[in-house]
Amino acid sequence: MGLDRRAFVKFVAGGVAGTLFTPVIWKGLDDAAIWSQNWGWIPRVPKGEVKSAPALSKLCPSGCAVKVKTVEGQPFAALGNKDNPMSKGGICPVCAGAVQLMYSPARVKSPMKKVAEGKLQAISWEDAEALLVEKLTALKGQEGKVAAICGDSTGSTAEVLSALVAGLGSSAFSVMPDEAYVASQGVKLMGGSGQPGFDIEGADLVLMIGADALDSWGPSVANQKAFAAARPVGADATAAYVYAGPAANNTSAVCDKFLAVPPTATATFALGLANALIAAGAVSSASDFAEYKALAAKVTPEVFEKETGLKADVLKDLVAKFKAAKAPLVVAGASFGQGAGARDFVAAASLNVLLGRVGQKGGMTLLPAAPKAIASAIAPAKDAASYLAEVATGKAAPGALIVYEANPAYALPQAADMAKALGNIAFKVSLATYMDETASLCDLVLPAAHSFERFDDAMNPYGVAKPTYLAGKPVVKKPVVDAKNPADVLLGAAGKLGLSLGVETGEDLVKAKAKAVGADIAALTGGGAWQGEAKGGALTLGAAALAKAPAAKADDKALALAPIAKLAIGTATLATPPANLLTIRDTELSGKDLFVQMNAATAKKAGVAEGDRVKLAAGSGEMKARVHVNEGVAAGTVAVLLGFGRSAWDEFTKGKGDNVYKILTVSDEAGTGLKVWAGSTVTVAKI
Amino acid sequence: MEEKKQCKGCGGALPFVIGFVAAVIAGWVLFPDMIYSKKTQPVRFSHKIHAEQGLECSGCHVFREDGSYAGIPTNEKCMECHADVVGSDPAEKIYVEQYAQKGKEVPWLIYQYQPDNVIFSHKAHEALECTSCHPDMAKNDTPPVYFQNRLSGYSKQTMKMWQCERCHAENGVSNACHVCHK
Amino acid sequence: MSGHAVKEFNITWGMVIDLDKCTGCGACMTACQVENNIAPMVDASNKMRTLSWMLVFELHNGKPAPEAEIAYLPRPCMQCGNPACVPVCPVVATDKNEEGGIVSQIYPRCIGCRYCMAACPYHARYFNWEDPVFPKGMEKALSPNTSTRPRGVVEKCNFCHTRLLKAKDLARQTGGNPDGLADGAYMPACAEICPTGAISFGDLKNAEHKVSQLSKDPNAFRLLEKLGLHPQVYYVSKREWVRKLGDNYAAGDKAGAEKKHS
Repeated sequence: MGLDRRAFVKFVAGGVAGTLFTPVIWKGLDDAAIWSQNWGWIPRVPKGEVKSAPALSKLCPSGCAVKVKTVEGQPFAALGNKDNPMSKGGICPVCAGAVQLMYSPARVKSPMKKVAEGKLQAISWEDAEALLVEKLTALKGQEGKVAAICGDSTGSTAEVLSALVAGLGSSAFSVMPDEAYVASQGVKLMGGSGQPGFDIEGADLVLMIGADALDSWGPSVANQKAFAAARPVGADATAAYVYAGPAANNTSAVCDKFLAVPPTATATFALGLANALIAAGAVSSASDFAEYKALAAKVTPEVFEKETGLKADVLKDLVAKFKAAKAPLVVAGASFGQGAGARDFVAAASLNVLLGRVGQKGGMTLLPAAPKAIASAIAPAKDAASYLAEVATGKAAPGALIVYEANPAYALPQAADMAKALGNIAFKVSLATYMDETASLCDLVLPAAHSFERFDDAMNPYGVAKPTYLAGKPVVKKPVVDAKNPADVLLGAAGKLGLSLGVETGEDLVKAKAKAVGADIAALTGGGAWQGEAKGGALTLGAAALAKAPAAKADDKALALAPIAKLAIGTATLATPPANLLTIRDTELSGKDLFVQMNAATAKKAGVAEGDRVKLAAGSGEMKARVHVNEGVAAGTVAVLLGFGRSAWDEFTKGKGDNVYKILTVSDEAGTGLKVWAGSTVTVAKI
Repeated sequence: MEEKKQCKGCGGALPFVIGFVAAVIAGWVLFPDMIYSKKTQPVRFSHKIHAEQGLECSGCHVFREDGSYAGIPTNEKCMECHADVVGSDPAEKIYVEQYAQKGKEVPWLIYQYQPDNVIFSHKAHEALECTSCHPDMAKNDTPPVYFQNRLSGYSKQTMKMWQCERCHAENGVSNACHVCHK
Repeated sequence: MSGHAVKEFNITWGMVIDLDKCTGCGACMTACQVENNIAPMVDASNKMRTLSWMLVFELHNGKPAPEAEIAYLPRPCMQCGNPACVPVCPVVATDKNEEGGIVSQIYPRCIGCRYCMAACPYHARYFNWEDPVFPKGMEKALSPNTSTRPRGVVEKCNFCHTRLLKAKDLARQTGGNPDGLADGAYMPACAEICPTGAISFGDLKNAEHKVSQLSKDPNAFRLLEKLGLHPQVYYVSKREWVRKLGDNYAAGDKAGAEKKHS
């Protein structure tokens, strides 16, 4: 029987019919459906045992004790530690994505050496550490030749860095300008000493002048917990909160009253309030009360209204609140955490002295000097902005600069000039976790382990009412990239340079500090906190400092510049974590355009409208942005978010918006010797 | 030509029948064989030997403190006895040298591997006998062959949704989507 | 699956969000992304493409400076008692059929027609326009609690449902009652992480859970009440202007006018 075409066709038809009676098609379809749900490039989720380990997060200056959840030892999320007396289970938006930051694409993955302009090449730790020691050895013993800029204000590693600098015969150790530095200077002007603290938990009226205490200022998580405890849902509040600052922000959104005070009028506002309080009967036993009263009297209702743009009767309302309160507290701070100058701090803090609230429960406190872990550690000679200004003019001529967890090329006023000044220094090394603007222009970059990958500690985070110490240990066996604890790197270098600092490793360092403080290290690394007692101390009203008022800049064309800090967008050291980009509104950033905020009246005066492209200029810096009309901004003020205009990091943050640090202008504050930039003004022009 | 003469008896249906039968045989006999690739476990683990040592099932297959189930134990559990070679079996030597001492987890092939979007709680099913869903492994000396579906990537033993749904329906337990999916 | 009546269960998981405590910090948005394996987006300013299961809105009192005030409102999925999204799904990828009332969204079943997105008046549903791409290495740090979704499917907040199943397992292990969980035994990531505790979560029908009392507060309201979807998320604010923004009112109406409570 031959196979002809008809037979063949019948054979195939039979095959098809037969196939329908087998599982081939049905199972094949089912399996294909499952195959289409399992593409290889869709990530799989882990399975396994879930545990949680305590850790200390230094991603923002608060230094919070958190818990890190791990699955089969691999961290995947961070949450608050309910048992910690400081953070009480709270966590901030930066820490919420802290584990993801361990894998940020901006992470420095290995030591890097500059081989050509703008080009860094990976090298081994051996070579990197040898290079560091070689460069430092050459400058040993020469005053001012080895300099350091430190961005970590609470960790003991800062002590190692300063001791290293001192041991090499230099005193050029400076810190990135932050609240603690300025506030301590302010306290000095008030005849006291020590870092001030604010007992928000114990107060029943909290007036925040500038200080964004419920988001980016101080131990913000602890502050938020105190705030929450005083305002139970559905019941009466036991404390009133008022925010006086240049723009409606996260703190003002939950306050009982928001007072829009332009950043150039902070001292006027405080003195105007002092005047009203004195008129209502407030008297202080401070030695300079008479001068203070005379100064405050100069801020008449007319002066108050003209400079702040607020009606004078807001003061009546505030005075009534103060009279009704048993434990009022005025929290003084710059609205963006730096550059306020001591005078603004003194003006606001003096209200606490006036009301007799220093050293009281729910009042302002003074912290005693913290014990040192390294005996040869030195105090910072000045802040980094002042130091780099000297480098720019040639007054300071270091041969080597060590930058530790700081980003001076980005986060200092007149940032472009600062970056240029860094170019004057022959050898720059940065110990950084992420490839930031400063690391990108250094000669040597040493990757620092992430908070969860190393031993670290936090002593007296700025704003705490009592001396406080926290410490943490690593959650993972080794860092996810080839990074080291910067304390280990600095101690290793110190050893090779012939300096004996008293400890060998980062772990020993934290143990030594805990011992000096009198804390139980195991309790701390298990998620606890050590708290001591604030010291007493009387303060004056700082009238002498307040009397040296800056000359009023009457420039009709200039607007007051208010940089706004939002914790979710990052800090001076950390660019926006990728997961937090979602929290930025499209009225703040759209595509690559940053929106500056001003109210309708200000926009009209400046001749701009909603959406217009503008250029803001001040000093030798300028920035480009678009305008968003926002009624929450104070009179004559343009508010600009910090943290944009990145030129390093990764695709998530690079090239978006512009950097407002470029247009902050620095001036010398009369009578305090401090550099000030919180009262900067800018011109705004349509382009 | 002579070949053109058809076989009258079949009425011309013979090719059809042959095709039909061939397809049915291919579909029922050859296809199941072809669609699965055969794999073996990386270590020849014998439940029989361990049971003979007097070990209880719950010694290694435990509920953790949080109620989750440690189905296949990790090195931590195995190394309680096998940190070093304790027996004479070459399979044990492979485990100790290539996995335990290197700190590497054994990449066991999971017979009941479920996709990421399925969540199964052993704790909720504690009242059932293990053998309701799993074969009785106590007397098993060599791990069963792992049949992996070449198309979908899952094992032949992976329970499909209808099996879970049927048992739920028969026992009056909710068949709401969220009970099993994440 | 009637879709035209309120579905009642013995347990009703719900939230009460205190708008007088929400600082708008965004920790809830970040925690939600971390818990649910939402890949970070390079251009997150394009709000038509972002996957913000939890989204914090900014509210304004509409007054000019210096009387302007702001407030923040976190919006998860409302898990409506009478959901608009459930009856429109052609493949039953979403349903409200589980004890507790959480509206489920099953990714392998979703065909991506986006009819549910059109139906939801709270815009709480999001579409995966692209496959998830995590920065290299970050895919190691995924949460075990939620599967990753390929492009072409719709996703939404599910009150971190996997945590409910884990809380039940923990209850079974420790001798508790999985159908009568204690207040706080099951908390979604946003409620757990909120630093001011603005988000309270629990069983609205259980007198021992604080949300059951808080939802009855005279200042409590729900968004778009008049649509009759019976959301299981309540908001509380002492500020009238904030409450009035929760729905559309004719000029002169007081907040809460024609409130249809179940």
